[in-house]
Amino acid sequence: MTDVLVRFRAVSKSYDGRAKVVEELNLDVHRGEFLTLLGPSGSGKTTTLMMLAGFEDPTSGRIELEGTRIDTVPPHRRGIGVVFQNYALFPHMTVAENLAFPLSIRRMKREEIATRTQRALEMVRLPGFGDRRPQQLSGGQQQRVALARALIFEPKLVLLDEPLGALDKQLREELQAEIRRIHAQLGVTMVYVTHDQAEALTLSDRIAVFNSGRIQQLGTAEAVYEHPANPFVAGFIGENNRLSARVLDATRLRLEDGSTLEAAPHGLPPGMAVLLSIRPERVMLGPAAQGLANAARARVEEVVYLGDHSRLRLMHAGRTDFVVKLPRQEAVPQPGSVIDLAIPIASVMVFPA
Amino acid sequence: MRDHPLARRLLRGTTALVLAFLMAPMLAVVVLSFSPTELMVLPPRGVSLRWYEDFLTAGRWVLATRNSFVVAIATTLLATVLGTAAAIGLQLGRFRGKALLVTLLTLPLVTPYIVTAASMYFAYSLAGLAGSLAGLVLGHTVVAVPFVLMAVLATLQTFDANLLRAAASLGAPPWAAILRVVVPNIWPGIAAGAVFAFATSLDEFVITLFLAGPGQFTLPRQMYASVREFLTPTILAAATLLFLCSLIFLLASEALRLRSTRKTQP
Amino acid sequence: MRRTNWLAALLIAPLLLLILGSFLVPVGLTLFRAVADREVAVALPDTRAVLAGWDGQGLPPEVAFAAVARELAAVLEARRIGDVAQRMNFERTGLRTLLLRTARAGDRLRAPYAESLVALDARWGQRDAWLMLQRAGGPFTSLYLLRAMDFTRGPDGAVSQVAIEERLFQTLFLRTLWVSLLVTAICVLLAYPVAYTIARLRAPWSSVALTLVLIPFWSSVLVRTTAWFVLLQREGPVNGALVGLGLLDAPAQILGTRLAVVLALVHVLLPFAILPMHSVMTRLDATYLRAAASLGANGVQRFLRVWLPLSLPGVAAGGAMVFLLAVGMYTAPALVGGDRDQMVTWFIANFMTRDVNWGMAAALSAYLLAMSGAVIALTRILTGGTVQAGARA
Repeated sequence: MTDVLVRFRAVSKSYDGRAKVVEELNLDVHRGEFLTLLGPSGSGKTTTLMMLAGFEDPTSGRIELEGTRIDTVPPHRRGIGVVFQNYALFPHMTVAENLAFPLSIRRMKREEIATRTQRALEMVRLPGFGDRRPQQLSGGQQQRVALARALIFEPKLVLLDEPLGALDKQLREELQAEIRRIHAQLGVTMVYVTHDQAEALTLSDRIAVFNSGRIQQLGTAEAVYEHPANPFVAGFIGENNRLSARVLDATRLRLEDGSTLEAAPHGLPPGMAVLLSIRPERVMLGPAAQGLANAARARVEEVVYLGDHSRLRLMHAGRTDFVVKLPRQEAVPQPGSVIDLAIPIASVMVFPA
Repeated sequence: MRDHPLARRLLRGTTALVLAFLMAPMLAVVVLSFSPTELMVLPPRGVSLRWYEDFLTAGRWVLATRNSFVVAIATTLLATVLGTAAAIGLQLGRFRGKALLVTLLTLPLVTPYIVTAASMYFAYSLAGLAGSLAGLVLGHTVVAVPFVLMAVLATLQTFDANLLRAAASLGAPPWAAILRVVVPNIWPGIAAGAVFAFATSLDEFVITLFLAGPGQFTLPRQMYASVREFLTPTILAAATLLFLCSLIFLLASEALRLRSTRKTQP
Repeated sequence: MRRTNWLAALLIAPLLLLILGSFLVPVGLTLFRAVADREVAVALPDTRAVLAGWDGQGLPPEVAFAAVARELAAVLEARRIGDVAQRMNFERTGLRTLLLRTARAGDRLRAPYAESLVALDARWGQRDAWLMLQRAGGPFTSLYLLRAMDFTRGPDGAVSQVAIEERLFQTLFLRTLWVSLLVTAICVLLAYPVAYTIARLRAPWSSVALTLVLIPFWSSVLVRTTAWFVLLQREGPVNGALVGLGLLDAPAQILGTRLAVVLALVHVLLPFAILPMHSVMTRLDATYLRAAASLGANGVQRFLRVWLPLSLPGVAAGGAMVFLLAVGMYTAPALVGGDRDQMVTWFIANFMTRDVNWGMAAALSAYLLAMSGAVIALTRILTGGTVQAGARA
């Protein structure tokens, strides 16, 4: 029995009255969870977040917070913290004044504000920065302040709209750890929007994968990665080789080049056109592949050295762009050579085309 | 890329001449206003402050100065408040026809002042406002407010709309967000608009000519009347003082412009 | 977001109301007044009603004579005959005397009025006076708009030009147009090299030069015009210098000539031409010129084929602004120009204050607005943008 904090019911949003940015959205956010809305730009994830924050009105449907309808409540009365990609720190206020803003709006006592501000700065590891102006801080520091500001008035729910999008890779990873720590420490519910699948996998309890205004799949990081519900999810999260094929029988498929491939039982009728998705890191290479299911030989077209692994482009299954990842310790074959490979049965994902 | 030396010399020469042409009449007025006699000749035959003394003691000039400042201050207040509010409203609102609305609100800028003045005179006569201080302030506000509107709208272009959303998410109702987040961030634009409104009202002549009552002389109206009547260097003292005001306005507006550009480029 | 739109509407409403009430509606009323015809309807309602049923053949019936005699006496009594007398006199000179004479005759007139009125003044026996009275019944008239272009409508309704010696407005509009175009051309030609030079000067010289443009921009039009009034006097410094240099034998009358008007207008409006050009040119990327040079263009080619086309929007904006302001400028021409060489604005002011002919003031205003509107529309079409105004005239 999970405790539902936010409930979207049949929520649609259209700006022009015709094209729907969000379509018939049903989504429950559990209390205390870290939920990520993941999807390409224009998929409706940000619009969903903006409707929850109150910056956009749903065209139809309803949004509930703790069982009360909130889509008609103005944003300033929803009590939801929001962290923006560009930080949105008030440039005319110091860091401390920014943090004090939501408290003074709530007519809190001066001493109380001072203590809370102090505590918030310590939480994001910026004690002593209270008197600085936001412009004097680095991007990472500004985003910590923005996070502290969204949390300081103790909202039940915090929304984060691509908060790390403007930061470089190293800083991003550092702040991801920070956000995870704060989430664990405070137990506050967080809804996080990103288009970066790696970030989503790192942070989330659950991921909602968005595309063209609809949720394609909702589940744990492992579920969406290992068991994608459809080709879009398979393609958007992690890399994959896509092959067209036709169903032969309960487990076998015929590829375009005429070869057959074995998969786990998929329950699709024979003759049906299907789409196969095979993750590059699941393909076995080298002598160890000999004699396994779906074993074959393929020519190496190109080798790209990437430090912790190498990417091989192979001529296989009628394609010249069949990609395989080779972990660092394995011997790297030369371009032009022919190698053994095998695709484990469990790693062939079959979707109706 | 440098210009040909000859072309450059020619261009700089022309520019110097044109700038001299622009400045010379004003400098001449300043010099002549210190003339010791009623004769306005260059070069001056001495220096005296008698025309300034005349200006500061003559009842009609003092009254005109007072009127001018009363009208200008009232106009500036009204135009700044109305113009700023409307600009913020235009920025906040999501509706069609914004461009048309801005065109409508700034139409007084491109309408010949004589047409505006004549129309106001017709209409204010019907409403019983002609010849009143309120009518004069309203008239000045109509031609001053587009400057405020444009200045504030320009500053709002650089205002990050997410700051408003942030304020709302932190619990600030719209009016609090406007007063505590928008206004403190765009004040250089508001102030620049106010300076322009003040200058516009102080210099305004045509609308005053039609709307002011028989006794309501402002500085420009008094100057115009005096020039047509009998030209004394007192007029030049008045012109010099007005010129000094313009210099102050110019300095203020440049300072505000620098401030707002520095703000947007951290 | 509906709530936000309410807030936005609440913020915009006060200014919109001010502009509507104090500007748009008044200007609309002015345009309406250019075609409105109310004087006869207000002063002589019965006469108007009777004449409305008259077929215009021969003379109107006795009731019309009776009505006009009674109503004219009544409006004279009420001291409100001025408006209708002026209105009819503007239709044809002399009708004022006819109406006043008839009104004053008042009680002495006896039935049958058709005879006693004609006995008082033979013009009552002619169809023309009655036709013009009938046509002035309103509610609309083309009289003012026609007259503001030197046309008139005869008693039979035919449009024709007024007598040569009365023609005035065609020349006036042509003069206004010509002076404005001349001033615009001079301003653009002077402003372009100045804007170019300032845009290419190094700091701090560019700031110094720009300040020298901004100072006159910020100073009052009246102050600058007054300066010219003083400088151009017969005994003033300009004449003094010209005589002193031996260029003139005796001081010349410059004030009151078109030269003075053009000089003052150019001086007042030049900053309005320089500033938009300068702002466009400072935004031009110098790399365009470098690119053109790297592609083999020499100095003249770089200017003609790269810089000039890119800076044209500034020229259009500046030129349009100068023209708009020149056409609508009252102060400068009124002060330094001659009474016989004035512009449309001066006539509007005169019709307003001296002649109290608001219909003519409104008709001239309508044409002036049309001229300004045409220029704005033309500039919009040419540049695809709005005219950035910055006028304080």
